[in-house]
Amino acid sequence: MPGMDPAVKKETGYIAVWVVLLSLVMEAVFLLVRKWDLPVLFGNLGGAVIAIGNFWLMAVTVSKAIEKGKPEEAATRVKATATFRLAGCALLCVLLIAVFKTNLYATVIPLLFPRIGIAFRPMIDRKRGVQPPGTEEGSDLID
Amino acid sequence: MLELAMGIMLGLLGLGAGCAMIAGIGPGIGEGNAVAKACEAIGRQPECKSDVTSTMIMGCAIAETTGLYGLIVAILLIFVAPGIFTGILKEAIK
Repeated sequence: MPGMDPAVKKETGYIAVWVVLLSLVMEAVFLLVRKWDLPVLFGNLGGAVIAIGNFWLMAVTVSKAIEKGKPEEAATRVKATATFRLAGCALLCVLLIAVFKTNLYATVIPLLFPRIGIAFRPMIDRKRGVQPPGTEEGSDLID
Repeated sequence: MLELAMGIMLGLLGLGAGCAMIAGIGPGIGEGNAVAKACEAIGRQPECKSDVTSTMIMGCAIAETTGLYGLIVAILLIFVAPGIFTGILKEAIK
């Protein structure tokens, strides 16, 4: 998308890859325990879309707030949108489960996949030889 | 008797789900404060904007998870707990 911060694109892509990978693992687990059916698939799809969408909206909000450069305004904006995003997530999850009758666990579990992806981030960066921001030699960020 | 007990139980479960969603307030406040500090940091060192933005996005996502835990607990209280508690109540009244 034009005009989007490259950091937003990069991080959302990273999270999307993890959500897809972990969704496949979850589907495999449902297959193994012989509980797989269409509501599980649709629940997983819906949950994954909500998780990635929530992350993308959060990333866009944070980058836009940082771009403006006014701390108080940025804080207010992020606080307000965080509440709206969570309410949106809750609404969509309840809609999927209650109206479209998707599997509850398959809908809710993908919401936690981005956190798992982030937890593995330092390990992957270390393997690829990428240094965490601010730790390069001569960096002013570490005092 | 069973109807009264079930009504009270469902009401309490709804109340519990509402209380669980209070967890959604904290991450918003935390994210807001973190982004405000990031703005100040970028104001001091504009050359590290991309690094700070990347770190902020990941940090906010971690903070956001706390609210999602609350949301998951609320959904479980609304959709799963009534079935379990109704079974327990019916057994107890028999």
